[in-house]
Amino acid sequence: MSSPTPQKERVADLLVLLVLAGLVVLYCASAIDASAHLLNLILVLPVSALILICCAIQFVLLIRQLRSPVEDLVEDETEPKDRVADVLPVMVLFSLYVLSLNWLGFDVGTFLFIGAFLWLHGERRWLWLLAYAFVFASLISIFFATMLPYPMPMLILSHVSLIS
Amino acid sequence: MIDTAALLDALNMLFSDSTPWLIVIPGIAIGLLFGAVPGLQISMAMAIFLPMTLYMDFMQAMLFLTAIFTGGSFGGSIPAILMNIPGTSSAIATAFDGYPMARQGQHNLALGTALAASCIGVIIGYAILFLLINPISKLVLKVGPLEMAVVILWGITLIGSLSSGSLLRGAISGLMGLLIGTIGYSEAGVARGTFGSPYLLDGVPAIPAMIGMFAASELFRLAKSNYLVEDSAARTVNVRQILSGFKRATADPVILTRGSLIGVFVGAIPGVGSSVANLLSYIFTKRRAAEPESFGRGNPRGVVASEAANSTSEAGSMATLLALGIPGGGATAVMLAAFAMHNITGGPQFIREEADVVYAVILANFGQAFLLIGLGLLLIPILANLVRVPMNYLVPSVLSLAVFGSFGLTGDLRGPITVLVFSLLGWLFKRYDYSVPAAVIGILLSTMAEDSMIYSYQISGGQWSYVLERPIALGILGLLVLSVFGNRLVDALTRGART
Repeated sequence: MSSPTPQKERVADLLVLLVLAGLVVLYCASAIDASAHLLNLILVLPVSALILICCAIQFVLLIRQLRSPVEDLVEDETEPKDRVADVLPVMVLFSLYVLSLNWLGFDVGTFLFIGAFLWLHGERRWLWLLAYAFVFASLISIFFATMLPYPMPMLILSHVSLIS
Repeated sequence: MIDTAALLDALNMLFSDSTPWLIVIPGIAIGLLFGAVPGLQISMAMAIFLPMTLYMDFMQAMLFLTAIFTGGSFGGSIPAILMNIPGTSSAIATAFDGYPMARQGQHNLALGTALAASCIGVIIGYAILFLLINPISKLVLKVGPLEMAVVILWGITLIGSLSSGSLLRGAISGLMGLLIGTIGYSEAGVARGTFGSPYLLDGVPAIPAMIGMFAASELFRLAKSNYLVEDSAARTVNVRQILSGFKRATADPVILTRGSLIGVFVGAIPGVGSSVANLLSYIFTKRRAAEPESFGRGNPRGVVASEAANSTSEAGSMATLLALGIPGGGATAVMLAAFAMHNITGGPQFIREEADVVYAVILANFGQAFLLIGLGLLLIPILANLVRVPMNYLVPSVLSLAVFGSFGLTGDLRGPITVLVFSLLGWLFKRYDYSVPAAVIGILLSTMAEDSMIYSYQISGGQWSYVLERPIALGILGLLVLSVFGNRLVDALTRGART
């Protein structure tokens, strides 16, 4: 997959800026809606106003850059950007891991996450993959479950009397 | 300034018997371990081991807890350098240059430098405390909520302008962080920005958010790499280089001393402490450097500046605790609990009546700094082997560790979910050149900023003229303006003089 063009990058940059500004407006509205009392807005309102002013100036600068010739934009790019396709699988896997912790527990969830990550990144020695995922997930689960003063969601280790 | 009789009593307490020292070594080791594991905080270590101090006398309890504090203040730099995860919020600036050094294969040098700066910082900090404990306690009382609010604004502006390519993007990031930190119940008892979610009522958990923005987002980017250090020849653990890094730190006495002074005085301000001290010291060092652009790309001076300040702020927060009985942060709050467990109240009366104990705690910390050198040099070669672990094993292991650690911080799934959300936000910020450090600092300091503004409003009765009555606040405001517009002003004046 080829890298996105500088022009596309600038459009994406502009969209990110607009989303950030939108979130600020949304939050500010929520804060005012909750209470318009001065003590509630003493920080939120001036900070929101400052962000929106900065966003407006940045918006103008980005629009100017978008209108400038493509050659200038290429010179602008000093560092290569991450490709979304490279990081997306890791993000999805990590999201699934975190969001499934309540059902799978930290022990089984971690085992599956590490195993899946290793497989996704080219580890094909199955015995080694399973052994590493098992040992790491067990050790870290037992360590934290015994160190922390509150119960952790566990699928299998919750049945072990030492940490339950 | 120094009570000689109390000093002699203190020496007698410390050296007539070896018992007080026997608990210092495990204390430092516990601090190192908790500081080095992301998600386990120094304050958590102190809280976990606090019940043990019931079986110790007050002096021993103080030595044990300050030993954990000392070990932890360096321990936080280990994951900051090797994994870009500041083990504690006080090691944020250490990661700025320590991690790029590790990526360039200079991990041994960076760890040695951090250890030396930490140990020397502790010694300088406690030396300052030893000499100035009385004046410091008086100075701290002059810092009011308005000064705190202005310091926070100044810090965020500086971090934003220095850690991002553009002042505007830096400011947007820092201010966004401030807003994120205000989500949840306000001081007025109003829930803001929760959008109906009960998980957000207590606000965004700051440390999991920091772990997500700094560490997890970076790990997403590293997943495609083979090793933390790509050059296989540089992927070694070299004790000589660690020692050379140790020596390297002593080559910058000005940075060490400035960092230590910042650490003591900022650390003494209740609620500010090492999280701000390391950043301020880093900013000052960068601004005064001949090549400021080399900072953030692996300049060892950045590591020295940060570590000197964060380890010294321990002495500063101890000054406030001993002199006023006010804890400067989480760790000193646990110490305050130890005070209560032993029926002792900190404050001017404590300093007057128990001066021998105060001096003994200070002197013991000099000893702890030397013990930390030994323990650190023993442990760093073991910990530095992390660079030999392939990335496909390191990334999921560290991500899991971050998830467990964040659960440890919140006690429920809010922690891991916060790590997830902020890892995605952190990746987005990094990709589009918004400043992650500024956003994180904003989140960490927002509650303090809002409280300071509310108290200033209440004290002043809403009168703007109150600002004119606060010379320290005015001075800091002047510095803020100079920090943002100073370079442009100098450029304009120089151009004007030439034409």
